[in-house]
Amino acid sequence: MREPRGAPEAARTWQFPPPWVLLVAIVLIICAEVGGASMVRFKVELARWARNTMLARPAVHGLVGVRDVDEQILDEALVKFDAGLRLFHLHAEGMGLVIIVTTTVAATLAAPGPARGVLVALLTVGGAGYPLGYLLWSGLIPVVGLERGKAIAEWLAWIPFGGTTILALWWLVIIVARRLGR
Amino acid sequence: MTVLIRALLSVVLIGLPVAATAHHLGSYTPRDNEISTNFKQLKFAIQAGRFDVAQRLFESGAVRKEMLATAPRLPPGLEGEVGASLRERQGTAAERGLVIFFAALTRDLALEAERQVRDVSVPAEVRAAAGRKFLEAIWRYYNLVDFAISQYDPKAAVAVRLAFDEAEGLAKGAATPVAANPCSGPRPATRGAEVQNPERLRPPLARIAQALGAVVDSTTVRRPP
Repeated sequence: MREPRGAPEAARTWQFPPPWVLLVAIVLIICAEVGGASMVRFKVELARWARNTMLARPAVHGLVGVRDVDEQILDEALVKFDAGLRLFHLHAEGMGLVIIVTTTVAATLAAPGPARGVLVALLTVGGAGYPLGYLLWSGLIPVVGLERGKAIAEWLAWIPFGGTTILALWWLVIIVARRLGR
Repeated sequence: MTVLIRALLSVVLIGLPVAATAHHLGSYTPRDNEISTNFKQLKFAIQAGRFDVAQRLFESGAVRKEMLATAPRLPPGLEGEVGASLRERQGTAAERGLVIFFAALTRDLALEAERQVRDVSVPAEVRAAAGRKFLEAIWRYYNLVDFAISQYDPKAAVAVRLAFDEAEGLAKGAATPVAANPCSGPRPATRGAEVQNPERLRPPLARIAQALGAVVDSTTVRRPP
């Protein structure tokens, strides 16, 4: 990228985020890959565990003791259980890359100082925590049911970590806009 | 070029938060169970005139297995009649037997639903939720034979639809959607209103059971001698 004449050398190149940020992003991507592979390798075992756990808690899932009704309830829960694992795989892969890209932009464009550190930390923590909500939701479905599991995952992961990511991204947008405005 | 890259970067960064707010949890479309799957296979094979295929599907399929398991609640000899009709390439008689079978399955569901919603030892919201689940199951089975029953016994078909419509309307006050009844058309939303008393579902459920019971009892598989 071309910079105005006289700009310092460092400002003309992309700056790496701190190593711990890259480590978090890479670990997240590794978790996504391991999760995806495990979904395939242990598909039957996972489905069996989820089904048995649900059958052991008929009241939680609203099972009525009639096969034609219960099979549909169990099927829906199993589909959502599988969807949660898939969404974890998908989001962990994506958010790992988002962390790398956004923290690189922050490290390059944000002014050096504590604010930049906070911004990078927010992008990393938010990005890494958000996909875990899907894993949590998936694990909770057989135990506490679809809706309750969703509510817990929302309050423990999606809202706090997703909100952190959204705030941090808007902060980054403001920084980028200011740089463009100069 | 630099300006272009920066503008692109800005658009991406502005778009990301919007995408992040719309996290989705996947959607679920109810699937056929092995009985309804087997029924559809049989129906298509009969309609195509492939009675050898239909006979094989019937002999080894879930419909016959369920017919044998529920034989005491079905007209005597129903399974044998359907099998014989397929062997003799009598599509209408075979189809009629299958319709009776599904009418009986749906009737049993309605009876069990009616029994569960009047069980006062269970909390009202649990009974209401069970009523909604039963309605979904009832419609899944009845939907398969609705057209055929409306041909064999139009009065029963209308009675079932009206009763189902009423039950669905009573259940629709709850947050979760119930089975979509194409006959009922758009209905004003009553979101937020709860089913105060699940026992209100009893009369329409009883009418569904009664109408379908009449279909099962009055309809016999007619085969030429």
